[in-house]
Amino acid sequence: MRTFRGGLLIGLAVAVLVGAAAITYERYDTKTLKRTIRRGEVLCGVNKGLPGFSIPDDKGNWSGFDVDFCRAVAAAIFDDPTKAKFIPLDASERFKELQARKVDILSRNSTWSMSRETNYDLYFPAVAYYDGEGFMLPKSRNIDSALDLNGSKVCVQADTTTALNLADYFRANNMKYTEMKFPKLDEVVKAYDTGQCDTITADASQLYALRLNMSKPGDHTILPDIISKEPLAPVVRLRDDDWMMIVKWTLYAMINAEELGITSKNIDEALKSKKPEVMRLVGTEGAYGEDLGLTKDWAARIIRRVGNYGEVYDRNVGAESKLKIPRGLNQLWSAGGIQYAPPIR
Amino acid sequence: MTKLRHSVWMLLAATTLALSTSQGFAQPRPDADEPGLVADDSYALDPEWQKQVVYYRTNEAPGTIIVVTAERHLYLVQGNGRAIRYGIGVGREGFTWQGLVNITRKAEWPDWTPPPEMIARQPYLPRFMAGGPGNPLGARAMYLGTTVYRIHGTNRPDTIGTAVSSGCFRLVNNDVADLYSRVPVGTRVVIRQKPEL
Repeated sequence: MRTFRGGLLIGLAVAVLVGAAAITYERYDTKTLKRTIRRGEVLCGVNKGLPGFSIPDDKGNWSGFDVDFCRAVAAAIFDDPTKAKFIPLDASERFKELQARKVDILSRNSTWSMSRETNYDLYFPAVAYYDGEGFMLPKSRNIDSALDLNGSKVCVQADTTTALNLADYFRANNMKYTEMKFPKLDEVVKAYDTGQCDTITADASQLYALRLNMSKPGDHTILPDIISKEPLAPVVRLRDDDWMMIVKWTLYAMINAEELGITSKNIDEALKSKKPEVMRLVGTEGAYGEDLGLTKDWAARIIRRVGNYGEVYDRNVGAESKLKIPRGLNQLWSAGGIQYAPPIR
Repeated sequence: MTKLRHSVWMLLAATTLALSTSQGFAQPRPDADEPGLVADDSYALDPEWQKQVVYYRTNEAPGTIIVVTAERHLYLVQGNGRAIRYGIGVGREGFTWQGLVNITRKAEWPDWTPPPEMIARQPYLPRFMAGGPGNPLGARAMYLGTTVYRIHGTNRPDTIGTAVSSGCFRLVNNDVADLYSRVPVGTRVVIRQKPEL
Protein backbone atom coordinates (compact mmCIF):
# COMPACT_ATOMS: atom_id res chain seq x y z
CA MET A 1 0.00 0.00 0.00
CA ARG A 2 2.73 2.34 1.04
CA THR A 3 4.83 1.63 -2.03
CA PHE A 4 1.80 2.05 -4.22
CA ARG A 5 1.14 5.53 -2.81
CA GLY A 6 4.84 6.40 -3.12
CA GLY A 7 4.84 5.32 -6.75
CA LEU A 8 1.76 7.41 -7.38
CA LEU A 9 3.41 10.46 -5.86
CA ILE A 10 6.59 9.98 -7.90
CA GLY A 11 4.54 9.46 -11.03
CA LEU A 12 2.60 12.64 -10.33
CA ALA A 13 5.77 14.62 -9.71
CA VAL A 14 7.28 13.39 -12.96
CA ALA A 15 4.11 14.29 -14.85
CA VAL A 16 4.12 17.81 -13.40
CA LEU A 17 7.82 18.27 -14.21
CA VAL A 18 7.42 17.07 -17.79
CA GLY A 19 4.38 19.32 -18.20
CA ALA A 20 6.22 22.32 -16.81
CA ALA A 21 9.22 21.64 -19.04
CA ALA A 22 6.93 21.35 -22.06
CA ILE A 23 5.24 24.65 -21.23
CA THR A 24 8.60 26.32 -20.73
CA TYR A 25 9.82 24.91 -24.01
CA GLU A 26 6.67 26.08 -25.75
CA ARG A 27 6.94 29.53 -24.28
CA TYR A 28 10.67 30.16 -24.33
CA ASP A 29 12.67 29.14 -27.33
CA THR A 30 16.35 28.97 -26.52
CA LYS A 31 17.53 26.90 -29.43
CA THR A 32 17.23 29.20 -32.43
CA LEU A 33 20.98 29.28 -33.15
CA LYS A 34 21.27 25.48 -32.99
CA ARG A 35 18.23 24.97 -35.19
CA THR A 36 19.41 27.59 -37.67
CA ILE A 37 22.82 25.96 -37.99
CA ARG A 38 21.27 22.50 -38.39
CA ARG A 39 18.85 23.82 -41.01
CA GLY A 40 21.64 25.63 -42.84
CA GLU A 41 19.74 28.88 -43.36
CA VAL A 42 18.27 31.83 -41.51
CA LEU A 43 14.50 32.29 -41.89
CA CYS A 44 13.74 35.99 -42.19
CA GLY A 45 10.28 37.51 -41.89
CA VAL A 46 10.15 40.52 -44.23
CA ASN A 47 7.71 43.02 -45.71
CA LYS A 48 5.91 41.82 -48.85
CA GLY A 49 6.99 44.88 -50.78
CA LEU A 50 8.35 48.15 -49.42
CA PRO A 51 10.74 49.99 -51.76
CA GLY A 52 14.18 50.39 -50.22
CA PHE A 53 13.46 48.08 -47.30
CA SER A 54 12.34 44.76 -48.71
CA ILE A 55 11.01 44.04 -52.14
CA PRO A 56 11.31 41.09 -54.53
CA ASP A 57 12.02 41.62 -58.25
CA ASP A 58 10.16 39.70 -60.97
CA LYS A 59 12.61 36.79 -60.58
CA GLY A 60 12.01 36.59 -56.84
CA ASN A 61 15.36 38.15 -55.84
CA TRP A 62 14.92 40.19 -52.70
CA SER A 63 16.61 43.50 -52.06
CA GLY A 64 16.41 46.23 -49.45
CA PHE A 65 17.78 47.48 -46.17
CA ASP A 66 15.86 44.93 -44.05
CA VAL A 67 16.78 42.16 -46.48
CA ASP A 68 20.48 43.03 -46.32
CA PHE A 69 20.41 43.01 -42.55
CA CYS A 70 19.15 39.44 -42.60
CA ARG A 71 21.83 38.54 -45.13
CA ALA A 72 24.40 40.00 -42.74
CA VAL A 73 23.21 37.61 -40.00
CA ALA A 74 23.50 34.73 -42.48
CA ALA A 75 26.99 35.89 -43.48
CA ALA A 76 28.10 36.01 -39.82
CA ILE A 77 26.96 32.42 -39.26
CA PHE A 78 27.55 30.72 -42.63
CA ASP A 79 29.94 33.10 -44.41
CA ASP A 80 27.29 33.08 -47.11
CA PRO A 81 24.63 35.79 -47.45
CA THR A 82 22.52 33.58 -49.73
CA LYS A 83 21.77 31.37 -46.70
CA ALA A 84 18.97 33.75 -45.77
CA LYS A 85 15.47 32.72 -46.77
CA PHE A 86 12.86 35.44 -47.00
CA ILE A 87 9.31 34.84 -45.85
CA PRO A 88 6.91 37.72 -46.56
CA LEU A 89 4.63 38.48 -43.62
CA ASP A 90 1.63 40.76 -43.16
CA ALA A 91 1.80 43.50 -40.56
CA SER A 92 -1.07 41.95 -38.62
CA GLU A 93 0.43 38.47 -38.34
CA ARG A 94 4.18 39.23 -38.12
CA PHE A 95 4.62 38.97 -34.34
CA LYS A 96 2.52 35.83 -34.05
CA GLU A 97 4.49 34.18 -36.83
CA LEU A 98 7.73 34.98 -35.03
CA GLN A 99 6.30 33.57 -31.80
CA ALA A 100 5.18 30.44 -33.68
CA ARG A 101 8.82 29.98 -34.88
CA LYS A 102 7.86 30.28 -38.50
CA VAL A 103 10.81 32.69 -38.77
CA ASP A 104 14.06 33.10 -36.82
CA ILE A 105 14.09 36.85 -37.06
CA LEU A 106 11.74 39.63 -38.12
CA SER A 107 13.48 42.21 -40.23
CA ARG A 108 10.36 43.97 -41.30
CA ASN A 109 10.30 47.73 -40.69
CA SER A 110 8.81 47.16 -37.23
CA THR A 111 8.71 49.98 -34.72
CA TRP A 112 10.19 49.10 -31.36
CA SER A 113 7.78 49.95 -28.56
CA MET A 114 7.43 48.83 -24.96
CA SER A 115 4.09 47.04 -25.32
CA ARG A 116 5.34 45.05 -28.29
CA GLU A 117 8.13 43.63 -26.16
CA THR A 118 6.00 42.97 -23.08
CA ASN A 119 2.74 41.80 -24.70
CA TYR A 120 4.24 39.51 -27.32
CA ASP A 121 7.25 38.23 -25.34
CA LEU A 122 9.59 39.57 -27.98
CA TYR A 123 12.87 41.44 -27.96
CA PHE A 124 14.14 44.24 -30.22
CA PRO A 125 17.94 43.95 -29.96
CA ALA A 126 18.97 47.33 -31.44
CA VAL A 127 17.67 50.13 -33.67
CA ALA A 128 18.56 49.51 -37.31
CA TYR A 129 16.85 52.59 -38.73
CA TYR A 130 15.55 55.71 -37.00
CA ASP A 131 12.38 56.65 -38.79
CA GLY A 132 9.84 59.25 -37.73
CA GLU A 133 7.00 61.39 -38.96
CA GLY A 134 7.90 64.16 -41.37
CA PHE A 135 6.38 66.61 -43.83
CA MET A 136 6.52 66.90 -47.60
CA LEU A 137 5.49 70.08 -49.40
CA PRO A 138 5.93 71.83 -52.74
CA LYS A 139 9.42 73.32 -53.16
CA SER A 140 7.78 76.50 -54.41
CA ARG A 141 6.54 77.27 -50.90
CA ASN A 142 10.15 77.96 -49.87
CA ILE A 143 9.73 76.64 -46.33
CA ASP A 144 12.61 74.83 -44.68
CA SER A 145 11.29 74.24 -41.17
CA ALA A 146 8.15 72.53 -39.85
CA LEU A 147 7.82 75.45 -37.45
CA ASP A 148 6.85 77.61 -40.44
CA LEU A 149 3.79 75.47 -41.21
CA ASN A 150 1.37 77.55 -39.08
CA GLY A 151 -2.04 77.83 -40.75
CA SER A 152 -1.41 74.96 -43.20
CA LYS A 153 -3.91 72.51 -44.59
CA VAL A 154 -2.35 69.13 -43.78
CA CYS A 155 -3.19 65.87 -45.57
CA VAL A 156 -3.03 62.87 -43.22
CA GLN A 157 -4.33 59.33 -43.00
CA ALA A 158 -7.28 59.11 -40.58
CA ASP A 159 -7.17 57.04 -37.37
CA THR A 160 -3.40 56.61 -37.28
CA THR A 161 -0.75 57.55 -34.76
CA THR A 162 0.46 59.83 -37.53
CA ALA A 163 -2.68 61.98 -37.12
CA LEU A 164 -2.25 62.01 -33.32
CA ASN A 165 1.42 63.02 -33.56
CA LEU A 166 0.45 65.79 -35.95
CA ALA A 167 -2.08 67.18 -33.47
CA ASP A 168 0.46 66.98 -30.63
CA TYR A 169 3.14 68.73 -32.63
CA PHE A 170 1.00 71.67 -33.69
CA ARG A 171 -0.45 72.09 -30.20
CA ALA A 172 2.99 71.93 -28.57
CA ASN A 173 4.24 74.66 -30.90
CA ASN A 174 1.17 76.90 -30.65
CA MET A 175 0.37 76.52 -34.33
CA LYS A 176 -2.95 76.11 -36.11
CA TYR A 177 -3.72 73.74 -38.96
CA THR A 178 -6.63 72.30 -40.89
CA GLU A 179 -6.68 68.52 -40.95
CA MET A 180 -7.60 66.91 -44.30
CA LYS A 181 -8.30 63.30 -43.33
CA PHE A 182 -8.62 60.33 -45.68
CA PRO A 183 -9.08 56.69 -44.74
CA LYS A 184 -6.47 55.32 -47.19
CA LEU A 185 -2.89 56.37 -47.81
CA ASP A 186 -3.25 56.55 -51.60
CA GLU A 187 -6.20 58.91 -51.15
CA VAL A 188 -4.05 61.10 -48.91
CA VAL A 189 -1.34 61.17 -51.58
CA LYS A 190 -3.80 61.90 -54.36
CA ALA A 191 -5.32 64.78 -52.39
CA TYR A 192 -1.87 66.25 -51.86
CA ASP A 193 -0.75 65.73 -55.45
CA THR A 194 -3.87 67.49 -56.75
CA GLY A 195 -3.22 70.50 -54.53
CA GLN A 196 -5.97 70.01 -51.94
CA CYS A 197 -3.54 70.62 -49.10
CA ASP A 198 -0.37 72.59 -48.39
CA THR A 199 1.59 69.68 -46.98
CA ILE A 200 1.35 65.93 -46.39
CA THR A 201 2.56 64.07 -43.33
CA ALA A 202 3.65 60.42 -42.97
CA ASP A 203 6.75 58.55 -41.80
CA ALA A 204 9.75 60.10 -43.51
CA SER A 205 10.89 56.87 -45.20
CA GLN A 206 7.38 56.58 -46.63
CA LEU A 207 7.38 60.18 -47.88
CA TYR A 208 10.54 59.53 -49.92
CA ALA A 209 8.93 56.47 -51.50
CA LEU A 210 5.68 58.37 -52.16
CA ARG A 211 7.56 61.24 -53.77
CA LEU A 212 8.86 58.89 -56.46
CA ASN A 213 5.26 58.35 -57.59
CA MET A 214 4.26 62.02 -57.72
CA SER A 215 3.52 63.49 -61.12
CA LYS A 216 6.59 65.76 -60.70
CA PRO A 217 8.85 64.35 -57.96
CA GLY A 218 11.38 67.17 -58.33
CA ASP A 219 8.80 69.76 -57.30
CA HIS A 220 8.47 68.44 -53.77
CA THR A 221 10.72 68.72 -50.77
CA ILE A 222 10.77 66.75 -47.52
CA LEU A 223 11.58 68.81 -44.44
CA PRO A 224 14.42 67.62 -42.20
CA ASP A 225 12.17 67.86 -39.10
CA ILE A 226 11.15 64.56 -37.54
CA ILE A 227 8.25 64.95 -35.09
CA SER A 228 7.83 61.42 -33.74
CA LYS A 229 9.93 58.41 -32.76
CA GLU A 230 9.66 55.36 -35.00
CA PRO A 231 12.73 53.29 -34.20
CA LEU A 232 12.72 50.38 -36.68
CA ALA A 233 14.46 47.31 -35.32
CA PRO A 234 14.88 43.60 -35.99
CA VAL A 235 12.88 41.39 -33.64
CA VAL A 236 13.63 38.03 -32.00
CA ARG A 237 11.91 35.88 -29.40
CA LEU A 238 12.45 36.83 -25.76
CA ARG A 239 14.80 34.72 -23.61
CA ASP A 240 16.79 33.29 -26.48
CA ASP A 241 19.92 35.14 -25.49
CA ASP A 242 22.47 33.41 -27.73
CA TRP A 243 20.45 34.24 -30.81
CA MET A 244 19.61 37.75 -29.63
CA MET A 245 23.31 38.46 -29.09
CA ILE A 246 24.15 37.42 -32.65
CA VAL A 247 21.44 39.63 -34.14
CA LYS A 248 22.40 42.58 -31.96
CA TRP A 249 26.14 42.38 -32.58
CA THR A 250 25.66 41.86 -36.30
CA LEU A 251 24.14 45.33 -36.45
CA TYR A 252 26.75 46.79 -34.11
CA ALA A 253 29.57 45.25 -36.15
CA MET A 254 28.21 47.00 -39.24
CA ILE A 255 27.98 50.35 -37.46
CA ASN A 256 31.43 50.00 -35.90
CA ALA A 257 32.86 49.05 -39.29
CA GLU A 258 31.57 52.26 -40.80
CA GLU A 259 32.96 54.30 -37.95
CA LEU A 260 36.38 52.67 -38.39
CA GLY A 261 36.29 53.16 -42.17
CA ILE A 262 36.14 49.43 -42.98
CA THR A 263 34.14 48.63 -46.12
CA SER A 264 33.45 45.60 -48.31
CA LYS A 265 36.09 47.01 -50.66
CA ASN A 266 38.96 47.47 -48.19
CA ILE A 267 38.28 44.53 -45.87
CA ASP A 268 41.47 42.71 -47.00
CA GLU A 269 43.49 45.78 -46.12
CA ALA A 270 41.66 45.95 -42.77
CA LEU A 271 42.65 42.34 -42.02
CA LYS A 272 46.30 43.49 -42.15
CA SER A 273 45.70 46.57 -40.01
CA LYS A 274 47.65 47.04 -36.79
CA LYS A 275 45.10 49.42 -35.30
CA PRO A 276 43.72 47.69 -32.17
CA GLU A 277 40.05 48.65 -32.72
CA VAL A 278 40.20 47.40 -36.30
CA MET A 279 41.97 44.19 -35.22
CA ARG A 280 39.33 43.41 -32.58
CA LEU A 281 36.50 43.93 -35.07
CA VAL A 282 37.93 41.90 -37.94
CA GLY A 283 39.12 39.17 -35.56
CA THR A 284 42.89 39.42 -35.89
CA GLU A 285 42.98 40.04 -32.13
CA GLY A 286 40.87 38.53 -29.34
CA ALA A 287 38.17 35.87 -29.44
CA TYR A 288 35.06 37.98 -29.72
CA GLY A 289 33.47 35.81 -32.42
CA GLU A 290 34.02 32.59 -30.46
CA ASP A 291 32.33 34.17 -27.46
CA LEU A 292 29.25 34.69 -29.63
CA GLY A 293 29.28 31.04 -30.68
CA LEU A 294 30.63 31.99 -34.11
CA THR A 295 34.08 32.15 -35.68
CA LYS A 296 36.86 34.70 -35.16
CA ASP A 297 36.15 36.36 -38.49
CA TRP A 298 32.37 36.74 -37.98
CA ALA A 299 32.42 40.52 -38.48
CA ALA A 300 34.86 40.37 -41.41
CA ARG A 301 32.40 37.99 -43.08
CA ILE A 302 29.55 40.46 -42.62
CA ILE A 303 31.58 43.37 -43.99
CA ARG A 304 32.95 41.40 -46.94
CA ARG A 305 29.68 39.79 -47.97
CA VAL A 306 27.18 42.56 -47.21
CA GLY A 307 29.07 45.72 -46.25
CA ASN A 308 29.17 48.18 -43.39
CA TYR A 309 26.14 50.12 -42.18
CA GLY A 310 26.73 53.09 -44.47
CA GLU A 311 27.20 50.88 -47.54
CA VAL A 312 23.93 49.07 -46.85
CA TYR A 313 22.15 52.36 -46.20
CA ASP A 314 23.45 54.10 -49.32
CA ARG A 315 22.77 51.15 -51.60
CA ASN A 316 19.17 50.60 -50.49
CA VAL A 317 17.70 53.87 -49.28
CA GLY A 318 20.44 56.49 -49.50
CA ALA A 319 22.44 58.39 -52.06
CA GLU A 320 22.94 55.46 -54.47
CA SER A 321 19.28 54.35 -54.36
CA LYS A 322 16.20 55.73 -56.04
CA LEU A 323 14.82 56.91 -52.71
CA LYS A 324 17.82 59.14 -51.87
CA ILE A 325 16.90 59.50 -48.20
CA PRO A 326 19.52 61.66 -46.46
CA ARG A 327 21.31 59.91 -43.58
CA GLY A 328 19.75 62.35 -41.08
CA LEU A 329 19.24 60.64 -37.72
CA ASN A 330 20.83 57.51 -39.16
CA GLN A 331 24.19 59.18 -39.65
CA LEU A 332 26.86 57.98 -37.22
CA TRP A 333 26.94 59.73 -33.85
CA SER A 334 30.39 61.03 -34.75
CA ALA A 335 29.06 62.64 -37.92
CA GLY A 336 25.90 64.37 -36.79
CA GLY A 337 23.45 61.47 -36.36
CA ILE A 338 22.50 59.14 -33.52
CA GLN A 339 23.64 55.74 -34.82
CA TYR A 340 25.94 54.57 -32.06
CA ALA A 341 27.35 51.11 -31.40
CA PRO A 342 29.03 49.98 -28.17
CA PRO A 343 32.69 49.16 -28.69
CA ILE A 344 33.98 45.68 -29.40
CA ARG A 345 36.48 45.09 -26.66
CA MET B 1 51.27 51.23 -85.82
CA THR B 2 51.98 54.24 -83.63
CA LYS B 3 48.28 54.93 -83.72
CA LEU B 4 47.56 51.44 -82.39
CA ARG B 5 50.23 51.81 -79.72
CA HIS B 6 48.74 55.14 -78.79
CA SER B 7 45.27 53.72 -78.36
CA VAL B 8 46.62 50.80 -76.30
CA TRP B 9 48.31 53.27 -73.99
CA MET B 10 45.15 55.34 -73.75
CA LEU B 11 43.18 52.24 -72.87
CA LEU B 12 45.73 51.26 -70.23
CA ALA B 13 45.70 54.75 -68.77
CA ALA B 14 41.93 54.86 -68.72
CA THR B 15 41.77 51.47 -66.98
CA THR B 16 44.31 52.52 -64.36
CA LEU B 17 42.33 55.66 -63.74
CA ALA B 18 39.11 53.71 -63.40
CA LEU B 19 40.69 51.18 -61.03
CA SER B 20 42.30 53.84 -58.88
CA THR B 21 38.99 55.14 -57.59
CA SER B 22 37.93 53.11 -54.62
CA GLN B 23 34.58 54.84 -54.07
CA GLY B 24 31.41 55.44 -56.00
CA PHE B 25 32.25 59.06 -56.67
CA ALA B 26 32.98 60.43 -60.08
CA GLN B 27 36.42 59.86 -61.57
CA PRO B 28 39.24 62.19 -60.53
CA ARG B 29 40.28 64.64 -63.20
CA PRO B 30 43.89 65.68 -63.07
CA ASP B 31 42.86 68.41 -65.50
CA ALA B 32 40.46 69.99 -63.01
CA ASP B 33 42.13 73.40 -63.16
CA GLU B 34 41.05 75.16 -66.29
CA PRO B 35 41.98 78.80 -66.01
CA GLY B 36 40.08 80.89 -68.50
CA LEU B 37 37.03 78.68 -68.74
CA VAL B 38 33.93 80.69 -67.89
CA ALA B 39 31.68 78.90 -65.39
CA ASP B 40 28.41 77.56 -66.73
CA ASP B 41 26.01 78.93 -64.10
CA SER B 42 23.10 76.96 -65.51
CA TYR B 43 24.86 73.66 -64.75
CA ALA B 44 22.42 71.51 -62.74
CA LEU B 45 24.01 69.76 -59.76
CA ASP B 46 22.90 66.28 -58.70
CA PRO B 47 20.38 66.55 -55.82
CA GLU B 48 23.08 65.10 -53.57
CA TRP B 49 25.28 68.19 -54.15
CA GLN B 50 22.57 70.85 -54.10
CA LYS B 51 22.42 73.26 -51.18
CA GLN B 52 19.83 72.09 -48.65
CA VAL B 53 18.82 72.25 -45.01
CA VAL B 54 19.42 68.89 -43.35
CA TYR B 55 19.09 67.32 -39.94
CA TYR B 56 22.53 67.55 -38.35
CA ARG B 57 23.32 66.87 -34.74
CA THR B 58 26.65 68.20 -33.53
CA ASN B 59 28.40 69.60 -30.49
CA GLU B 60 29.89 72.38 -32.61
CA ALA B 61 28.33 75.80 -32.05
CA PRO B 62 25.95 77.36 -34.60
CA GLY B 63 27.92 79.28 -37.20
CA THR B 64 30.68 76.65 -37.36
CA ILE B 65 31.63 75.19 -40.72
CA ILE B 66 32.22 71.42 -40.81
CA VAL B 67 33.84 69.99 -43.94
CA VAL B 68 33.36 66.22 -44.29
CA THR B 69 35.70 65.35 -47.11
CA ALA B 70 34.71 61.68 -47.43
CA GLU B 71 31.09 62.75 -48.04
CA ARG B 72 31.97 65.75 -50.28
CA HIS B 73 29.74 67.89 -48.08
CA LEU B 74 30.25 71.16 -46.24
CA TYR B 75 27.91 71.86 -43.33
CA LEU B 76 27.14 75.27 -41.86
CA VAL B 77 25.79 74.51 -38.38
CA GLN B 78 22.49 76.26 -37.65
CA GLY B 79 21.72 74.96 -34.18
CA ASN B 80 18.39 73.35 -33.33
CA GLY B 81 19.65 70.07 -34.85
CA ARG B 82 20.05 71.37 -38.37
CA ALA B 83 22.63 72.61 -40.81
CA ILE B 84 22.82 74.01 -44.30
CA ARG B 85 24.62 71.44 -46.45
CA TYR B 86 26.51 72.25 -49.65
CA GLY B 87 28.11 69.87 -52.13
CA ILE B 88 31.86 70.39 -52.54
CA GLY B 89 34.88 69.21 -54.49
CA VAL B 90 37.81 68.15 -52.28
CA GLY B 91 41.53 67.40 -52.41
CA ARG B 92 42.63 64.51 -54.57
CA GLU B 93 44.64 61.58 -53.18
CA GLY B 94 47.76 62.94 -51.49
CA PHE B 95 46.16 66.35 -51.04
CA THR B 96 43.95 65.57 -48.07
CA TRP B 97 44.31 67.20 -44.70
CA GLN B 98 42.27 67.67 -41.57
CA GLY B 99 42.17 69.96 -38.59
CA LEU B 100 40.71 73.00 -37.01
CA VAL B 101 41.22 76.43 -38.57
CA ASN B 102 39.53 79.82 -38.74
CA ILE B 103 38.56 81.96 -41.66
CA THR B 104 41.23 84.65 -41.71
CA ARG B 105 40.19 86.63 -44.76
CA LYS B 106 37.33 86.89 -47.24
CA ALA B 107 37.49 88.12 -50.83
CA GLU B 108 35.01 88.62 -53.68
CA TRP B 109 36.13 87.50 -57.16
CA PRO B 110 39.60 86.81 -55.76
CA ASP B 111 42.82 87.00 -57.74
CA TRP B 112 44.67 83.72 -58.03
CA THR B 113 48.38 83.30 -57.38
CA PRO B 114 49.01 79.55 -57.50
CA PRO B 115 51.54 78.70 -54.73
CA PRO B 116 55.05 77.66 -55.92
CA GLU B 117 54.53 73.99 -55.02
CA MET B 118 51.44 73.92 -57.23
CA ILE B 119 53.35 75.58 -60.11
CA ALA B 120 56.05 72.94 -59.69
CA ARG B 121 53.48 70.19 -60.15
CA GLN B 122 51.45 71.88 -62.86
CA PRO B 123 53.91 74.15 -64.74
CA TYR B 124 51.27 75.09 -67.29
CA LEU B 125 49.32 77.10 -64.71
CA PRO B 126 49.49 80.91 -64.86
CA ARG B 127 51.70 82.66 -62.28
CA PHE B 128 48.93 85.15 -61.60
CA MET B 129 45.34 85.51 -62.69
CA ALA B 130 43.04 88.42 -61.94
CA GLY B 131 39.65 87.70 -60.37
CA GLY B 132 36.71 87.12 -62.71
CA PRO B 133 34.41 84.52 -64.24
CA GLY B 134 37.27 82.55 -65.84
CA ASN B 135 39.23 82.33 -62.60
CA PRO B 136 39.30 78.82 -61.05
CA LEU B 137 38.72 80.37 -57.59
CA GLY B 138 35.30 81.52 -58.77
CA ALA B 139 33.11 84.17 -57.21
CA ARG B 140 34.30 84.14 -53.58
CA ALA B 141 37.15 82.85 -51.45
CA MET B 142 37.46 82.30 -47.72
CA TYR B 143 41.05 81.87 -46.59
CA LEU B 144 41.68 79.12 -44.05
CA GLY B 145 44.08 79.99 -41.20
CA THR B 146 47.64 80.46 -42.40
CA THR B 147 47.39 77.55 -44.84
CA VAL B 148 47.49 77.79 -48.63
CA TYR B 149 44.00 76.29 -48.63
CA ARG B 150 40.71 78.10 -49.19
CA ILE B 151 37.00 77.53 -49.49
CA HIS B 152 36.27 79.00 -52.91
CA GLY B 153 34.01 79.02 -55.95
CA THR B 154 34.82 77.35 -59.22
CA ASN B 155 34.62 77.66 -62.97
CA ARG B 156 34.13 73.89 -63.14
CA PRO B 157 30.73 73.10 -61.52
CA ASP B 158 31.03 69.55 -62.89
CA THR B 159 33.84 68.81 -60.40
CA ILE B 160 31.53 69.14 -57.38
CA GLY B 161 31.30 65.78 -55.66
CA THR B 162 34.77 64.71 -56.81
CA ALA B 163 38.27 64.61 -55.34
CA VAL B 164 40.31 66.71 -57.73
CA SER B 165 41.71 69.77 -56.00
CA SER B 166 45.11 70.49 -54.52
CA GLY B 167 43.55 70.58 -51.05
CA CYS B 168 41.05 73.44 -51.38
CA PHE B 169 37.31 73.02 -51.01
CA ARG B 170 35.31 74.28 -53.96
CA LEU B 171 31.59 75.11 -54.23
CA VAL B 172 29.62 76.30 -57.22
CA ASN B 173 29.58 80.08 -57.46
CA ASN B 174 26.00 80.56 -56.25
CA ASP B 175 26.66 78.39 -53.22
CA VAL B 176 29.98 79.97 -52.33
CA ALA B 177 28.36 83.43 -52.52
CA ASP B 178 25.56 82.19 -50.24
CA LEU B 179 28.04 80.75 -47.73
CA TYR B 180 30.18 83.89 -47.94
CA SER B 181 27.22 86.06 -46.97
CA ARG B 182 26.54 83.90 -43.91
CA VAL B 183 29.97 83.60 -42.29
CA PRO B 184 32.26 86.33 -40.90
CA VAL B 185 36.05 86.37 -40.65
CA GLY B 186 36.94 84.34 -37.53
CA THR B 187 34.47 81.54 -38.30
CA ARG B 188 35.63 78.20 -36.94
CA VAL B 189 36.17 75.56 -39.64
CA VAL B 190 36.48 71.85 -38.77
CA ILE B 191 37.87 69.62 -41.53
CA ARG B 192 37.21 65.89 -41.15
CA GLN B 193 38.73 62.99 -43.07
CA LYS B 194 37.56 59.42 -43.07
CA PRO B 195 39.38 57.23 -40.54
CA GLU B 196 42.54 55.38 -41.56
CA LEU B 197 42.77 51.62 -41.23
